[in-house]
Amino acid sequence: MSADGPRRTAPPSSAARADPRLEQLLAHPALWRAGSAVRGAVWSSGFAPLDAGLPGGGWPRSGLIEILPMRFGQGELQLLLPALASLTRRPEARWCIWVAPPLQPFAPALAAAGVALPRLLIVSARGAAALWAFEQALGSGACDCVFAWTRHAPARHIRRLHLAAQRGNTLGVLFRTREAAREASPAMLRVALEPRGDGARVTLLKSRGGARGALDLTWATDAYEPQRMP
Amino acid sequence: MRAPKTLDLFAPEHLPRRAVRPPVQPVQPQGAPERSTRPSQAPLWLAVHLPRLAPESDSGVPRVLHSLAVRAQRFTPRISLAPPDAVLLEVRSSLHLFGGVDGLRRAMAGECAALGQPAILAFAPSASAALAGTRAGRAFTVLEAGQLAGSLAALPLAALRWPPQLIERLARIGVRTVGAALRLPRAGFAQRFGATRLAALDQLTGRAADPRERFEAPQRFRRRRELPCESDSHALLAVTLRALLEELARFLAARQSGVLALECRLWHRQAVPTRCVLRLGAPLADAARLAALLEERLRSLTLPEPVRACELRAGSPVPQPMHTGGLWRPGERGGLAAAPGVELIERLRARLGPEALETLSLVADRRPEAAWRAGPPALAPDAESQATMRAVPRPLWLLPAPRLLHQRRGLPRWHGALHLEGEPERIETGWWDGREVARDYYNARDGRGRRLWLFREREPPHRWFLHGVYG
Repeated sequence: MSADGPRRTAPPSSAARADPRLEQLLAHPALWRAGSAVRGAVWSSGFAPLDAGLPGGGWPRSGLIEILPMRFGQGELQLLLPALASLTRRPEARWCIWVAPPLQPFAPALAAAGVALPRLLIVSARGAAALWAFEQALGSGACDCVFAWTRHAPARHIRRLHLAAQRGNTLGVLFRTREAAREASPAMLRVALEPRGDGARVTLLKSRGGARGALDLTWATDAYEPQRMP
Repeated sequence: MRAPKTLDLFAPEHLPRRAVRPPVQPVQPQGAPERSTRPSQAPLWLAVHLPRLAPESDSGVPRVLHSLAVRAQRFTPRISLAPPDAVLLEVRSSLHLFGGVDGLRRAMAGECAALGQPAILAFAPSASAALAGTRAGRAFTVLEAGQLAGSLAALPLAALRWPPQLIERLARIGVRTVGAALRLPRAGFAQRFGATRLAALDQLTGRAADPRERFEAPQRFRRRRELPCESDSHALLAVTLRALLEELARFLAARQSGVLALECRLWHRQAVPTRCVLRLGAPLADAARLAALLEERLRSLTLPEPVRACELRAGSPVPQPMHTGGLWRPGERGGLAAAPGVELIERLRARLGPEALETLSLVADRRPEAAWRAGPPALAPDAESQATMRAVPRPLWLLPAPRLLHQRRGLPRWHGALHLEGEPERIETGWWDGREVARDYYNARDGRGRRLWLFREREPPHRWFLHGVYG
């Protein structure tokens, strides 16, 4: 298309609200506009103030997000634990895979938080093999969520991972350190985290159609009580 | 004598030379339907006995017998193996084409001679009768059921391959031939020697049906496909292989089978063909999954030259039971795990090794290092959690082994001073298995705001260790 050829479409700013056909088109779930909430399905994060800030009201059910604590072990797993517990407890739950966790996940603590351990699969791998396993798990359609801990993840890889997560209808969570926040990333959501008392300050660095800014969360100290049949 | 390869029925040399025809109105076995659409439906069995095969070699089917059965497939599709030393052919409808009984006998003897085996051939309307005849060394030809009893009468009982003790018992009452056995009263015979023996005699004379297991020649898939041009492009190779694998999937689907081994050969202009062998844990018949696994394998190959053609050879098909659909949705109580999960786990295991994947379960033990166990993933996980835990806060991460901390003035340090919080929790147990622990666990916070889990030994050096991170 040449630059000086006639423009067939009017500039969207003026005609967007007037044209009913455009309104009809925008009702399609695959289309979204910057500034409006993403209409995709979400998992509740388990923290009401965070849900209010997240686009759509929770963690996205498909797509890649990044959690960026200052250092490993500053509450980044606590942030996802309530969602993980409710997700794995569903009767139709799929796998939840952790790729290359930096330490040994402590099963009693996870069970006490309400995570259904039989749904949890730990994959140990290093470097490129870890990224490969992450992409396979995201794209397989067999997982509800896949967590991965990695140091080096170039932007083009993150783009692939995001597409794989959408293909597999899976929530992918990439844990990286805060230095990664300087790099651009195609992830849907980037959440920075710093410890604060018995909780953390959560900053939404990038959220498509959600609020920006920081909010303080307090971790639940009382353990999960499993509901018993009478 | 070579049988005609093509079906040119009008060539004069292929017309039957002698008027050996199936009887127009065959003797129907009792109870068989009177009205039959085709008159010559009564079977005629040709037994081929290879006397050189030792009768006691009962370790499966001998190879010679197997290859004879494969060769005999040009005479009839209805072939049955009678191990260890005979093959049975149902030839009623083949008589006309192969020149009658004599022509068929000559052609079959030629096949046996090609295998280097002398053979005894007998025709009879019952498979057992033909078999017994050849095993007794009588190459008789009985075309009608009515003549069967007369031809069998003189056969020794040993031809039936009954147990020697039984034959001895019969010999003691003066019964040495099949004819003598047939003359015994039926009820008494069944009572003294068993109903199965009476049934065997009935099968011999054609009174009872004699079902035989049909021989199916093993079929192997082997296809070759030329590439449109010489190439070492992985994408072109993958497309060509995908087409071959789809053919393989159709081949397997028609047989309700899967393969356990697959060999892919890549042909070059000069170099020897590159071989790539894929071995599977369970029979597989799905083209997409085979392609994914094969491509995974091909990616690790280095090609000496561009590829001209690829060839796919499959191992023998393994029958696969058809899957039963589940009543429950995957993951529901009693429901199987979703199939994609199995596929994913298979793929991850293939690349990372079987020990790279594990699931966790709880163990009722107060010692943190013994309170959990890692195991291989269950493909159909049970949604019920085994144990319920006491509501004690525990860190989400455990160090692989407790890490010794420096201390200053009796207080632990790790990247700076640590601030201890709350009351200690004493864990003192495990005296029974030699891994006794006596520790006071503390929660602590480091300079970066992380919550840690430390313990102090109760024994005299009172060292401090880091054991967990709250995460």
